[in-house]
Amino acid sequence: MAYLELNNINKYFGKTAAVENFNLQVERGELVSFLGPSGCGKTTTLRMVAGFETPTQGRVIINNEDVTHKSPNQRDVGMIFQSYALFPNLTVAGNIGFGLKIAKKPAEEIHKRVQDMLDLIHMPDYGNRYPYQLSGGQQQRVALARALALSPDVLLLDEPLSALDAKIRVSLRSEIRAIQQELGITAIYVTHDQEEALSISDRIVVMYNGHIEQIGSPFQIYNFPETAFVASFIGTLNSFNAEVTDLTNNVLRVGDLRLTTAENLEDRKVGDKVMIAIRPERLNFSSDLKKANLIDCTIENITFLGSIVRIQVKVGDLRLHMDTFNNPFLELPKIGDKAEITCSREAVIILQH
Amino acid sequence: MNWVSKFRKIPFWSWFWFILGVIYFVLPLYATLDFSLRMERDTLGFKAYAVAFQDPAFLKTFSYSIMLAILTIIVSVALVVPTAYWIRLRLPEARRIVEFITLMPFVVPAIILVFGLIRIYSSPLEIPFTSIVLLQPLTNFKLGTNILIIGGYVVLGLPYMYRSVDTGMRTVDVRTLTEAAQSMGASWATIILKIILPNVRTALLSGALLTFAIVVGEVILASFLGIPAFGPYLFLLGQHRAYEPAALSFTTFLLTWAAMGIIQLVTGGQSQAAGAH
Repeated sequence: MAYLELNNINKYFGKTAAVENFNLQVERGELVSFLGPSGCGKTTTLRMVAGFETPTQGRVIINNEDVTHKSPNQRDVGMIFQSYALFPNLTVAGNIGFGLKIAKKPAEEIHKRVQDMLDLIHMPDYGNRYPYQLSGGQQQRVALARALALSPDVLLLDEPLSALDAKIRVSLRSEIRAIQQELGITAIYVTHDQEEALSISDRIVVMYNGHIEQIGSPFQIYNFPETAFVASFIGTLNSFNAEVTDLTNNVLRVGDLRLTTAENLEDRKVGDKVMIAIRPERLNFSSDLKKANLIDCTIENITFLGSIVRIQVKVGDLRLHMDTFNNPFLELPKIGDKAEITCSREAVIILQH
Repeated sequence: MNWVSKFRKIPFWSWFWFILGVIYFVLPLYATLDFSLRMERDTLGFKAYAVAFQDPAFLKTFSYSIMLAILTIIVSVALVVPTAYWIRLRLPEARRIVEFITLMPFVVPAIILVFGLIRIYSSPLEIPFTSIVLLQPLTNFKLGTNILIIGGYVVLGLPYMYRSVDTGMRTVDVRTLTEAAQSMGASWATIILKIILPNVRTALLSGALLTFAIVVGEVILASFLGIPAFGPYLFLLGQHRAYEPAALSFTTFLLTWAAMGIIQLVTGGQSQAAGAH
């Protein structure tokens, strides 16, 4: 049985559905991210796990215990907020020890635990400072220590890095992941940042309009998106409407272009309309004729993005993006050049809807 | 940049209105002080102060008013803090109604309030349709009138106390702090006492100070309810004497400012800690 279970969760605010038919099993020690745009229901779901919202239907089970109707202070759940939510009137040590004091732990134990937590977040000498004396990144590390001090069953992180600048965000997310793995704590991480979700998670739940679009590992979510939304939300994508033309050889037609896919077309008929997607990095200039799909095109635009060069090509009425790694010896075509680009059969993905 | 060049950069009209404001405020105060020092002909002295302080009624009424003010502040805090907190947390749609209610003392004069209190509470509280008396008229006994006047003072101080507390709560993210505390196992009482109250302490002290000033100088409620408070004493004194009321007015003014100064000193560090987050 999973450590955290969300069974058939539905949440309505009046007549508006915030979350519908949400089912998820999280194993002990796993970090699962809820990823989606604003208003997709990810924070509402997290708040139902925390106990700040009650599901209209469904059950929340933590460590074999149904906590659906338990108040937040009766659940063994630690929470980290986007705005840090450190108590301004308490020192760093006071903040970290707050939950332990509530739990009426002996003073010596509190002191030791607070110091352990300060060591864990690499801030051993900051115990006597007040939150206003810390930077945003330091405040969020203290918030992490405070949430972990009580050794909760589940750690919930609600966009914890959104208020920080880009550099701190990257370093702190590695730190959070390292601590989560070190302690083996079960965690739910809410974010709208796909890069953050891909880099930190064991699994990702992609949400849209209150529904789960796809659940999978970062590798699965990126490389094998199941829906048009997931494909478009994660990374850059070329997507088109196509028509099935040949079931024997798995051929699809997009305008004048013929593409072969490795996906199974057995359930489809000739003439069926499907949506297909190709990641920009799966297209290249290679003249490897073994590749199934050869595309004649015209170079339309070239954008330098640091480690990547993005090339926009025109194929009939279609426009495709192609990514290639930058290197100082890269010979790029000129705008207006004719070129031939290729992609494998596996690169052509059929999206469910 | 030095102070002189800083001052030079302030526009003329800003200075004009500032100085006009200072004159309007300081001149009557100076006149009161000057008058209070002229009890003895052709000399300046503190005789009026000595006479006023030696009157046993002064100490009695002043201490009574201070006691009433403290009790009023306690009741106000107990009423306003949970109300403002709950409105911010769960009932934001009720804010307009509550703000309207708290503004009522500006619309309904104290004289109307006291007549209303007397009219309602000068009759015994009976069980409906019986003659069984649950409570004797509050105006008939000392404790009752004290309860009535504290209730009246809570109403009079409501606009100041509610606004101070509500503004204080606006500066801290009450909802997230509450949720953070809840997730660490804190009960409602712990959250209010350990998290909310300390973070709105400065705002509370401001509200308390204003309430204190209102209660200590209040005349109408105390006179009509027959309470031996400082306001009616000062009023009566003003009808019979000239210099002592001026001395006492100036003294109470100084006391209020001293209290404000102490509050600033005591809460200076706290407000910085609570305000920056």
